[in-house]
Amino acid sequence: MTTTAPPETTGPVAPRGGTDTWRGKSARTVADYAMPLLTVLVLLVASLTTDGFAETANFRAILISTAITGIAAVGMTAITLTGNLFSLGVGSTVVLSGILFLAVAGATGSVLLAVLAALGASLVLGLAQAVIVGAGLNPVITTLAFGAIIYGCVAVGTGGEVVTAGSVPVTWLATTSVLGLPLPVVIFVVLTALVSVLSARTVVGRRLRLLGDNRATAVTSGISAMTGTVVAFASLSVGAAIAGILSAAQLRQMQANDLPNLTLDVIAAVLVGGAAINGGEASAVRTALGALLIVILGNVMLLQGLSPGERLFGVGAVVVVLVVLLHLLRKAGTR
Amino acid sequence: MNPLTRFWRTYGLQLIIFALVVLAMIAVAPDFVGEPAASAVLERLVPLGIITAGIAVTMIVGELDLSIASVAALSGATAILLGDTGLGLGPVLLIATAAGAVLGAAQGAAIARLGISSLVLTIGTLILFRGATWLVTDGVPITPDDYAMSDQLLLRYGLLSPTSVIALLVLLGLGVFLTLTRPGRSLYAVGGGRTEAVAAGVPLRSSLVLAFAVSGGCGALAGALSSLRSASATPDGFQNMLLLGVAAALVGGISLAGGRGGMVDVFLGVVITSTLAAGLSSVGFKAFVAELFTGVLLLAVIGADATVRWVARRRYLAEQRRQLSGLSAIDLTAAEPAGSRGRRARGPEPSGVAHTDPAGSDATSVLHRQRARP
Repeated sequence: MTTTAPPETTGPVAPRGGTDTWRGKSARTVADYAMPLLTVLVLLVASLTTDGFAETANFRAILISTAITGIAAVGMTAITLTGNLFSLGVGSTVVLSGILFLAVAGATGSVLLAVLAALGASLVLGLAQAVIVGAGLNPVITTLAFGAIIYGCVAVGTGGEVVTAGSVPVTWLATTSVLGLPLPVVIFVVLTALVSVLSARTVVGRRLRLLGDNRATAVTSGISAMTGTVVAFASLSVGAAIAGILSAAQLRQMQANDLPNLTLDVIAAVLVGGAAINGGEASAVRTALGALLIVILGNVMLLQGLSPGERLFGVGAVVVVLVVLLHLLRKAGTR
Repeated sequence: MNPLTRFWRTYGLQLIIFALVVLAMIAVAPDFVGEPAASAVLERLVPLGIITAGIAVTMIVGELDLSIASVAALSGATAILLGDTGLGLGPVLLIATAAGAVLGAAQGAAIARLGISSLVLTIGTLILFRGATWLVTDGVPITPDDYAMSDQLLLRYGLLSPTSVIALLVLLGLGVFLTLTRPGRSLYAVGGGRTEAVAAGVPLRSSLVLAFAVSGGCGALAGALSSLRSASATPDGFQNMLLLGVAAALVGGISLAGGRGGMVDVFLGVVITSTLAAGLSSVGFKAFVAELFTGVLLLAVIGADATVRWVARRRYLAEQRRQLSGLSAIDLTAAEPAGSRGRRARGPEPSGVAHTDPAGSDATSVLHRQRARP
């Protein structure tokens, strides 16, 4: 990913079309590179104005708190890409995965078994939602209902109690350092790269994109909407399960009411990353940067001594402004 | 069609679900009967009924307001603070509702003017208004200095209370507005077939502004009434109202595709989900159990609805095929112009290809993915 814009080629075509093309092109370029540029800009401004921001420990903290939201958000990118809007059940799935991970680890003593159980449960639930959505039901409503059911089942299953892994060590999953970075951050970066390559460079990824771009055409050319939806939901399930496992490993305990704002943070990251809500346009890298940007803003406001309310309001305002701006840029680009 | 058949066709599914829920509640909670039960269900019209009405209006116009629960929380906190300034109950409610309507209208104007998806914009404003609530409350639960207003709202007239009366009046007023006035009916036109409505001269922008103003006003009124009644407002309040409101609207038979449903649907949907929640809570189940069953109910209802539409489409296509099967290949091409004359009689389609309706291709419609109605 580079942060330099490519040279603009303004071919001398018909005068009217020419200005439109030039405008459209520059708007598209700005929209494509807005995220990296903005992130760099915010980093620079924050480093210069905020004491304690440009320190290794702070960067480390930012990366760790981005990782969990980011992993789930990168998984969700595939859903938005295929034109299935977004999942309102991601928070519950993350909590379910985390609790299942802790419970299985505590019961069997095997971390591997616990990871597989969390991944398996998340995938089964994702598949069930994919089949329903693939059959033509609205994804937002289906995932809203599933989220409520999963939350209810987890709350009933745990009786609202806190679940721990007992004496089984699980914290190493969140604290092990690889190449000087904590494991969750490494997983976040690897997953982002993987989803990015898969969605841009493979047949499956391009099919997902076409399904989101123009479903009628995609279906007529023989691409199965059901398969695409299943792949997209599988991507989210893997992301949600990993996020849940890492979050549980980090906290060493979890209960049904944990992570109440996660669903919104994940959706905000995808939208701030510039994904087109109607599908066909989404990038895992930009989603990851969106998650990073939101965390950096929160961190800067925290270091500036703002209250939780002011921080939430600030993040909300930035999300609204960015989302509107990106929409306008994209509209100008397609005109 | 005779009115009784029509009523059954429109609300039959909801009445069956209601009967099933009542039967289930009789089995689970035998004491949940009679006047206390009815009044417990009616009490839930605030905030759920009014919020559902607001969500329903945005669904009718083919959009969805996700920010309504945050507006309710913001308005609830503001109403508590306003109450302490010495204003009476009426002025506080009016100010809160008007402020909510202004917030909603601003969102509607942004959606209409910028052509942005309402889901995208309102998920941003959902966070923004939640932050504003935190600012207003300073992040802690707040209570009024004086509980007189709360007492006024806790009066009872038999089955009813001031809050449930206000909720019923709101539903009635919105029902009359939607079915009998020109701006109300234009909401259905914009939701049912946006392209056609615009082509026919229905004002798109003002319809969207109106719909979101109604939903903002409803959210604010519900939040203010509910917070004043319980004499407390928390920065995290009303968070589950989005799920419950959307669930109630869909269970009641409002279509997310737009243009279908009315305030009777809202009332039925709220009564069904409230009966479930109130019945379960009467035998000591926690709120999350009710949420769990609301989720199951929601899934079942949208599943049943999709199946009905799928069957209807299959029948429609089979009928088309039957009509065309007697014609030879040459006659088939001769039949084409008849199709373009307005009757959408096309040749037999491969069943894998979905009908795409004209409204579905409209980028501003939330439900571009919903399958075509037969």
